[in-house]
Amino acid sequence: MAEYPGTQALFDLWKKQIEEGTQVWARMMGQGQMADPTQFWRPFMDQGMAAWSKLFTQGPMTPEFLSQWKQFLDQWIAAWSKVLEQAMGTEAFAQALGKHLEQWLSLQEPMKKATEESAEAVLSALGIPARSQVVGIARQLENLEDRLEGLDDRMSALVAKMDEALKTLAHPKPSSSRRAAGKRKKRDDRTDH
Amino acid sequence: MTPGSTRTDQERGTAPELLAQWQEEMARNLLRMQNLAAMIMNRDEPAVGPTPREEIYRKNKSRLYRYRSSPKRRTPVLFVPNLGISRPYIFDLLAGGSFVEHMINQGFDFYLLDWGVFGPEDNDLTVDDCVTRILPRMAKKVLESSGTREFSLVGYCMGAPLSACFLALHPEMPVKNLINMAGPIDFSKAGLFRCWLNPKYFDVDRYVNTLGRIPSDMVRLGFKLLKPTMDLSTGLNLWWNLWNADYVRSFRALYKWANEYVPIPGEFFRQWVKDFYQGNRLIRGDLSLRGAPIRLETIRCPLFIVAAKEDNIAPPACVRAMIDAVGGRDKEYVELPGGHISLIAGRAASVHCWPKVSGWLARRS
Repeated sequence: MAEYPGTQALFDLWKKQIEEGTQVWARMMGQGQMADPTQFWRPFMDQGMAAWSKLFTQGPMTPEFLSQWKQFLDQWIAAWSKVLEQAMGTEAFAQALGKHLEQWLSLQEPMKKATEESAEAVLSALGIPARSQVVGIARQLENLEDRLEGLDDRMSALVAKMDEALKTLAHPKPSSSRRAAGKRKKRDDRTDH
Repeated sequence: MTPGSTRTDQERGTAPELLAQWQEEMARNLLRMQNLAAMIMNRDEPAVGPTPREEIYRKNKSRLYRYRSSPKRRTPVLFVPNLGISRPYIFDLLAGGSFVEHMINQGFDFYLLDWGVFGPEDNDLTVDDCVTRILPRMAKKVLESSGTREFSLVGYCMGAPLSACFLALHPEMPVKNLINMAGPIDFSKAGLFRCWLNPKYFDVDRYVNTLGRIPSDMVRLGFKLLKPTMDLSTGLNLWWNLWNADYVRSFRALYKWANEYVPIPGEFFRQWVKDFYQGNRLIRGDLSLRGAPIRLETIRCPLFIVAAKEDNIAPPACVRAMIDAVGGRDKEYVELPGGHISLIAGRAASVHCWPKVSGWLARRS
């Protein structure tokens, strides 16, 4: 497909700005201070606007422009993804996430306990089994299932051993081998005499 | 040449060609609108898991499925996916786009272990239970139903370290081949999850003691946080390809799967985080299950490891570590393009991954 130099120049510029902006962002996160966000966006927008106006002076557009626009968006999203991944891979983020989870659990714990207790009280008053009771029964059934399977395994092993023993009894050692052993004994006795 | 322009009219294309291109683009836009309307109006669930199968065995929530086939290869395959997190129909998503279908077409007798969807009654399920009770029983059922004396074991994601522990703990099990697909082994290189689950910042005991289990919403949050821009790029790609009916069909199926998360039993999660992510005990060699040590070096069967280059859940270094940890001589490692999911599901998987896995197994079956 034919290249459209105006759009290519535009995307080259934006790509360069994305890379520079990403480096700025990464430096911001590393320094642990809130820098001016327009430091990231201003050069991006200024040069983007300059490229846009240049683009529209260069004659008719083809739908090719749309696929290049899509490519640009893909690159933009990929750049953001990289930046976010770097930011989220820091100890600071992990610490912040951990703190947030702790706070959430601190709220959840009493709420959950209160909800469960009140639900159990209501269900008990209505004569309906509570969730914990149903869960308890389910666990007992699981244990029973395990025990039955264990028994099944032992039975299978016993049956296999019995089958083997029966086979040995049903098909004892061939008598010719016994007769040959007996003949050898008689020959040895005669020579001794 | 007009002033200010850098190309001739010939290079830019003639007016009729330009018109034809714009007409095509308009037609695509109309198709986009049409398909978008159809997606919104169509409330039917996409049909997933098309390959016929039968349930061989069930143990509580876990199911062992055997896919119907006319196997040409003697050694059956037991596929062990991740426990919790997501549903396993991703491996059999659509006709023509299914790893299971591919393996059956290659002549394998294919079994899938579906760990199931866990409820509060399963909160006590541990890693020990999975490795010492469930997996041995599933393996036994595979041998019984296939009438063979040995089988191949394929673990994907979490299923791979579980399979490795099972094999290390049960050397008497007749496992002929072992495949690790994107399964983390050295958790010191496990990327963002390793960072977030650092014991300095994440108190797993408090988490499990409070909630009992990891609810599906929390699982979803964790995975969405790994790639916050995923939804944006998914939406953009959907819009771009919305004119393509096949793409829309695949998207609907994948979207269904990607939004269906499964809770993780509390005790399993506690042990998984402490022993694997935080302690990294599997690769260090000091992991014990039911009091028995797990030594990866006792695994001596042929081993094939497949990692995905852009995997942010089980990065290549994390997966690759298994090659040096096991015994045996027949070992191979490959790194393929894609991410954690696209390694095994999707068009790229059918080109890069599936043939390699089936080819390696076929030579040893």
